[in-house]
Amino acid sequence: MGSCKTAATIAGALALSLAGTTLAMAGDETETVATTTTREAPVPSVTQDMLSGAATDTQNNLHTNLNYEQTRYYQGKQINKSNVEGLRPAWIFQTEVKESLETTPIVVDGVMYVTTSFNHVYAIDAKTGEQFWHYKHKMGPVTTYCCGPNNRGVAIHGDKVYMGTLDAKLVALDAKTGSLIWETQIADPELGYSETMAPTAVDGKILIGTNGGEYGIRGFVRAYDAETGKQVWNFHTIPENSVGVWATHDATGKDMHRDIEAEKAALKKLGDPYKTLGGGVWQNPAVDLETKRIFFVVGNPSPDLDGSIRPGDNLYTDSLVSVDLNSGEYVCHFQYIAHDVWDLDSVSPPILVDVKDKDGKTVPGVIHAGKTGNVYVHNRDDCSLIRFSEAMVDQTGMWTLPTPEGAKMLPGANGGVEWSPMAVNPDLGLSYAVNLHQPMTYHVESSPYPGGKLWLGGAFKVIPGSEQFGNVTAVDYNTGKIKWQKKTPLPMMGGALATAGGLVFTGEGDGWFRAYDAENGDVLWSFHAGAGVNAPPAAYSVDGKEYIVVGAGGNTQIDFKRGNNIIAFTAD
Amino acid sequence: MLRISDWALTAALFASTLIMGGGAIAAEDIEQKAQLCATCHGADGVPVDKKTPVIWGQDEGYLYLQLRDFKSGMRKSDVMGPIASQFEKQDMYDLAAYFTKKKWPNLGQPAAPSDVAAKAESAAKSIGCRGCHLDNFQGDGTTARLAGQWQEYLLNQMLAFRDGSRGNNPGMSDLMKATPKEDFEPLSKYLAGLQIDQYLGHGR
Repeated sequence: MGSCKTAATIAGALALSLAGTTLAMAGDETETVATTTTREAPVPSVTQDMLSGAATDTQNNLHTNLNYEQTRYYQGKQINKSNVEGLRPAWIFQTEVKESLETTPIVVDGVMYVTTSFNHVYAIDAKTGEQFWHYKHKMGPVTTYCCGPNNRGVAIHGDKVYMGTLDAKLVALDAKTGSLIWETQIADPELGYSETMAPTAVDGKILIGTNGGEYGIRGFVRAYDAETGKQVWNFHTIPENSVGVWATHDATGKDMHRDIEAEKAALKKLGDPYKTLGGGVWQNPAVDLETKRIFFVVGNPSPDLDGSIRPGDNLYTDSLVSVDLNSGEYVCHFQYIAHDVWDLDSVSPPILVDVKDKDGKTVPGVIHAGKTGNVYVHNRDDCSLIRFSEAMVDQTGMWTLPTPEGAKMLPGANGGVEWSPMAVNPDLGLSYAVNLHQPMTYHVESSPYPGGKLWLGGAFKVIPGSEQFGNVTAVDYNTGKIKWQKKTPLPMMGGALATAGGLVFTGEGDGWFRAYDAENGDVLWSFHAGAGVNAPPAAYSVDGKEYIVVGAGGNTQIDFKRGNNIIAFTAD
Repeated sequence: MLRISDWALTAALFASTLIMGGGAIAAEDIEQKAQLCATCHGADGVPVDKKTPVIWGQDEGYLYLQLRDFKSGMRKSDVMGPIASQFEKQDMYDLAAYFTKKKWPNLGQPAAPSDVAAKAESAAKSIGCRGCHLDNFQGDGTTARLAGQWQEYLLNQMLAFRDGSRGNNPGMSDLMKATPKEDFEPLSKYLAGLQIDQYLGHGR
């Protein structure tokens, strides 16, 4: 087995260079389904108070993006600028699945719950890397998903962990044993629905959206009862009237070259396209506990590149949306790109943070990094746009319309900022985003709704031989100015973690995992993980010792070297 | 080896037998149904004709969808259309589950020379083939395995997607239209020559 060979190689290397490091790996498990319990995990009891107080909890990592605000700002300072150069692996856990890792581990009282591609879940001792249990989802025969068999993590509440699956189910597992407690079919995978996002647990509900914007779904965000799996509410991300206001310019004032008259004629002929208009939701909603409202972003319209058969603004695709936590009722939205024909949609999770408004007054804000390469800053009250940042990437040719022969435009269809979550350092007023520079041509072709099959309405094509790279960018969200930017050799996909120790952690597709100085972007530490580090990092502590953890499994979407390692680092 | 005309005739004969047999086929077990498939797809998993795809070890969801589409006419085939028209949904699931568990045969096609492989890699990266067909072109779920498939079949299908004669996946048609025609020969040779047994078994 390739994975065992890799383990031996790493074990040898560690034995030579890393005294005190232990290596754990998944055993030779031959079952195709169900749970293997090596030993029971301590029973967690994750209360709503714990989930609500996650922002200051330096022991646990209770949310995919650290807290309900999704700041990814870890308040521990034990690992900091002065000692980060001594950061070293504490343990490496090798999963059974050597495939794309986009997961963020959840940690509760020294137990880590981490997912892999194809919906495996492992419970691991967060101090030693030893396995408690391993759940392998019994996948249905029909899965329809875009961009890799990814999973971005579990949610935890009480004594259960929750995961969405590629065959469009929501499952609840016993956190002690990994056994399946209930599962709910969310939608029909034969029609293009799948789940890769991590759910969010709040007030006894499990919140989850859906993928499928490349298959003509009608998107949604839903709440399920955490105890029973029964649906509590549903919010369609595509309203029955998806037409909107016929916006001709994007959020930054650029002309999108829409042919409004042609669209109006198409609307008259075809009707509102809402039933197959896409609008997937790729990442967790942020939760405002005070106002009991959630904020999420909605992905692209279907088909991606052909706007001729979906006239109108295609609400609420490419938008920030807020709905009521208790009822799922619409509160407000802001659309970045009306009638998108480039797939430069909204996927990176929104962050709740106080921001300066246009008058310099501090107000509750929401920030989001677009695939456009801009960071957008909103007023949380009504979703209105306060400002947008300087472009973090080259936007030459924006918005050139796709053609059958292919039209060049930047950024390419992966962004800017893809699904990768930003982190913020509220003390510095900075948000940290990872970007891609991937020149592409945009091609348009027209075809009718294909009943759940891939429906791109054309193609995005990386220009062979063109230079590709990425960057890590710090944006002052109170001014929109770029504070610092560091170029990386490969396009960036994965996400960031900021810490009170003055650091920003993020990984690269060639295997490097680095710590940056949060104030100026200097690289303070690097580790080569052997496979693409394309998962968002997290932090936690056990017995008073801090750890940084990250997955190194590469990435399917942009084809970075695959691996199967979960690596935890300490600084002593 | 059967000539293509004989092959089609044989299949059509089986199809008419099915049609005449009506509901009787539904009572037969999966092994018997699978014997029909062996006529063209090979008793040992090696198809009798290079224009006929390997279905042993193919991804389950993909096999199911093709049967579904042959039945509905979304994928057109004079041979497969009449055969699939006899199947109920459960039959399609059963056949897909049956064949996916079989071992993919080694067709003995040579690995592509390095210049051909480089051209194919460049084409594959340009439109992101691995985004759906995965790292080793093993496919998953409703996405087909391409690695080790007959080169001639692969070439025909890419061209059929391109000209619309295979109409059951417009996304694939769009991607093939965006690919220069000269890339199809290298792509098909490269994919046909891949041996991926050592990479299978991770995950699903």
